[in-house]
Amino acid sequence: MDLLAQVLINGTLLGGLYAVMALGLALVWGVLNIVNLAHGAFIMLGAYLAWYLYTYLGIDPFLGLPLTAVVMFCLGYAMQRGVLNLVVRAPMFNTLLITFGLEVVLTYLAQLAFSADFRTINPPYAGSSIALGPLVVPLARLMAFGVAVMLTVGMWLFLLHTRLGRAIRATAQNLVAARLYGVAPQHLYAVTFGIGIGLAGAAGGLYGTVSQINPYIGATLTAKCFAISIIGGLDNPLGVLVGGLVLGIIESLTVLYIGATFGDVASFGVLVLVLILRPSGLLGKTA
Amino acid sequence: MTALRVGIILLVAAVLAALPMFGSDVLIQFGINTLLLAVLAQSWNIIGGYTGYASFGNSVFYGLGSYGVAIAMVQWNLPFAVGMIFGAVLAIAFAFLLGIPVLRLKGHYFAIATLALAQVMSAIVSNISLAGQNIGLVLPPLNNDPLFYELSLGLLVIATLTVFWLTRSRFGFGLIAIRENEEGAAVMGVNTTLYKVLAFALSGLFAALAGGIHAYWITFLDPESAFDISLNVKMIIMAVFGGPGTVFGPVLGAFVLSAVSEVLSSEVTNVAGLFFGVVVVAAVVLMPRGVADVMRHFRKSGWRYFIENLRTHRI
Repeated sequence: MDLLAQVLINGTLLGGLYAVMALGLALVWGVLNIVNLAHGAFIMLGAYLAWYLYTYLGIDPFLGLPLTAVVMFCLGYAMQRGVLNLVVRAPMFNTLLITFGLEVVLTYLAQLAFSADFRTINPPYAGSSIALGPLVVPLARLMAFGVAVMLTVGMWLFLLHTRLGRAIRATAQNLVAARLYGVAPQHLYAVTFGIGIGLAGAAGGLYGTVSQINPYIGATLTAKCFAISIIGGLDNPLGVLVGGLVLGIIESLTVLYIGATFGDVASFGVLVLVLILRPSGLLGKTA
Repeated sequence: MTALRVGIILLVAAVLAALPMFGSDVLIQFGINTLLLAVLAQSWNIIGGYTGYASFGNSVFYGLGSYGVAIAMVQWNLPFAVGMIFGAVLAIAFAFLLGIPVLRLKGHYFAIATLALAQVMSAIVSNISLAGQNIGLVLPPLNNDPLFYELSLGLLVIATLTVFWLTRSRFGFGLIAIRENEEGAAVMGVNTTLYKVLAFALSGLFAALAGGIHAYWITFLDPESAFDISLNVKMIIMAVFGGPGTVFGPVLGAFVLSAVSEVLSSEVTNVAGLFFGVVVVAAVVLMPRGVADVMRHFRKSGWRYFIENLRTHRI
């Protein structure tokens, strides 16, 4: 019983991190209708940025998160304005391919700049944990989980209650009508993409504190983000949080009860099932 | 199609067929790889280019074909040809069983469901002892590169003829109608479910045969490489680079991109991948409908063609 509770705790903490990873992908997908295959590569860049901030400037990875997010926001804004804007109205294959091309470019640049070595961000509290009776809650993971939940809920409030958030949602629903009401799509798309990449950067900083980073982690992370966005639906950041938690818990349970090699089978199996049974996500509106 | 064009195509095919007689070993091996990639791009063209469904699951068919040959030859000591048939049967069965639920999804959702299927298959196969689990299988070697070359070329010719048949048959028109407007196609009396599943199976058949040839040629396979997603991305890039929904576009795309990446990896070894990514980005921005479309319109509109493309797709 303790083992099960411990696995549930681990899965939940992992799931919060998954959610914040997928948040940016779901936002960009929902608003720009671009599935950003380079999303995982941006997470990787954010992780390296946090690593450099910590190793060379001694900035704590959690305190450095806003800085990482802002730098990544600027990168994302420029990337959308300069490159992706050129294919926003092109067919789906083309946007998939261009983001795949970006993923290849970013991964290779990272490999040239950072080498292929594994790295971890190791703040002094990395090894410490809180004991809850027989259960153990790793401190860094708990903090990452807390930040992830805050970011997700903050994103939800931002989209619901601010002028910019409303403009983003309006554009996602109907571009023409939003333009008639004075939304400038070039700027808004770039801001949305920037926010998505900023979130990816923050997620990368969190990921670096709980796991190892190298230039090649991007592709698998993108796949996980897909799965989470689909399970949770694209309409609502809270759906993404649910999707992340579901995936984190399922993965942990499968690894415990069925075997480590089946972790991915379970998560992608759930993905296929959700797609077939509830294509708009667990919390999505039914058509 | 004019007589001149038919003549050029026959000439190219004849030169390609004669290549093993004068080409070096390295050239023949490069040729086998390129031809198999061209078959894969052409197979993706059937489901992606003509039917409009961006399949990321063609690497599953490729893997099933590879494993069909490997299991038949290693575990059951059957000849290569029987293995190819076994692999093809596996692929077609998979297309029918999973195609029916998955092909109900559209757009990105279909793409991602098929992507997930590839991941699941790789994990399942690595737990089946008949398929050698995650250690893989080693096939009996056959050192006859010219034979593999001619087999691959033959398969490419058959695949291309099949796609050519699509452009002038009732079945092919049905697929194009589904791509352009699925509800419209259904209203016009196209049995969309049946057509889509058949297109998926046809696409899978060629991918499986290519996988079978590749497995016997390389003589080794494991779940990682057999169900490799990046192979699927490669076939999509080649098809879209050349021109999806055209008869020769995917073949052209496979030849050009294979040559480019071969030259890059021998000239500028450590940044070859970087250049490849840049080529993909530039190609998508400048010629979103592929080389085939550039060749059709370039004579008339010149360099303005690229600027027009930029103008229509940006915002």
